[in-house]
Amino acid sequence: MFEEIDPRNPVPLYDQIAARIRLAVASGDLGEGDALPSVRQLAARLRINPATVVQAYRALEREGFVEMRQGSGTYVRGVSSDRRRQTREDQAARLVRGVLTEAARLGIPGTEVARALQREMGTRAP
Amino acid sequence: MSYAIETHDLQYHAGKTFELGPLGLRVPTGSIYGFLGPNGSGKTTTIRLSLGLLRPDRGSVRVVGHDVPRQTHQMFARVGYVPERPHLYPTLSVAEALAFHGAFHPRWDATAARELLDTFGLARDTRVGHLSKGETGKLLMLLAIAQRPDLLVLDEPTDGLDPVVRRDVLMALIDYVSETGATVFISSHLVHELERICDWIGVMDRGRLVAEVPMHSFKNGIKRLRVRNAPAQTGDPPFVLLARERGDGASGTELWVVRGWQPTMRQYFEGIGAVLQDVIDLDLEEGFVELLRTARVPQGS
Repeated sequence: MFEEIDPRNPVPLYDQIAARIRLAVASGDLGEGDALPSVRQLAARLRINPATVVQAYRALEREGFVEMRQGSGTYVRGVSSDRRRQTREDQAARLVRGVLTEAARLGIPGTEVARALQREMGTRAP
Repeated sequence: MSYAIETHDLQYHAGKTFELGPLGLRVPTGSIYGFLGPNGSGKTTTIRLSLGLLRPDRGSVRVVGHDVPRQTHQMFARVGYVPERPHLYPTLSVAEALAFHGAFHPRWDATAARELLDTFGLARDTRVGHLSKGETGKLLMLLAIAQRPDLLVLDEPTDGLDPVVRRDVLMALIDYVSETGATVFISSHLVHELERICDWIGVMDRGRLVAEVPMHSFKNGIKRLRVRNAPAQTGDPPFVLLARERGDGASGTELWVVRGWQPTMRQYFEGIGAVLQDVIDLDLEEGFVELLRTARVPQGS
């Protein structure tokens, strides 16, 4: 799940981890009551600062995606289907913004990107 | 904030050519502090001064609350040190090295040492002198961790080791930090590794500390901007302009290296009649290179 976490990316690491978990909840990969890896496990596995993992889990807790239980662990909370859809749409918008920024950098107009997107969608399963 | 390592006005010289300081280094308690700098910039010397292994010309050092060198003994009971060059007796077996090392450390954790031997796949009866470079690196980290220190001082602990060994060593380190909240002061040339684990960064250059900041401010602060039609006179920009160079693309395009960038500063370019085409993020390595380059060259040249 965390394969694409990239420390060189300008998005802070804790943000990348939180986004990954948020999307796993939004897509149904993680369901209510599922346990997240412990801070110690995830930090060692990704070879990152444990404080970064704590920061990610705290952000998710503030947003209502997970619950941190003292001495037990961090668990996914029930999230409404509306909220899950909204989370997916937010991420889709972010992806598109990234593509448009990159295209502008390379001198490709937005209309041509939109046409390419239409074409790709026509040739691929949704 | 309390500091695991704190130096004031620390100065040292070796021969006529190498001068260090005055150095005010502050490593926050509980941080993982990456100590960067080119070869010969004084990283190892700073570490040795901090641990009382060299005597400063002047200045003071406090490490985990103890004055160095006056209380070096008490300090070393709480500090795990992985030196740049191994300090082990080659004729001892691995098990003997553990027993020997453990005898000096009041908080020595024999159970953790045994577990790490297994994790690292080290055989107890191998002579230390016969260990490979990777195995020696693992053994040094094991010895530092098993003494249950409040502060780990690591001088290039993984440089020159293969990726698999590096991974094992870093995982053990992070596991220990997760468990105990210990402070880590780590010097390395492997900038991408530091970028993963550190939350503070100190940069040395020519015997001086040229930056000491939280990692996120270091990475956010330095940007490369692509600017078109910039006038010769820049007025009074809201950021620090570190360098201004001709771009590689269309004529009239320049690359600016700036510090203290905020997205709201785009307006400044309209004000001077220029076009800001792109804001390029730098990773830690690029930021580090730009910082050193611009720290050495006077601005505007």
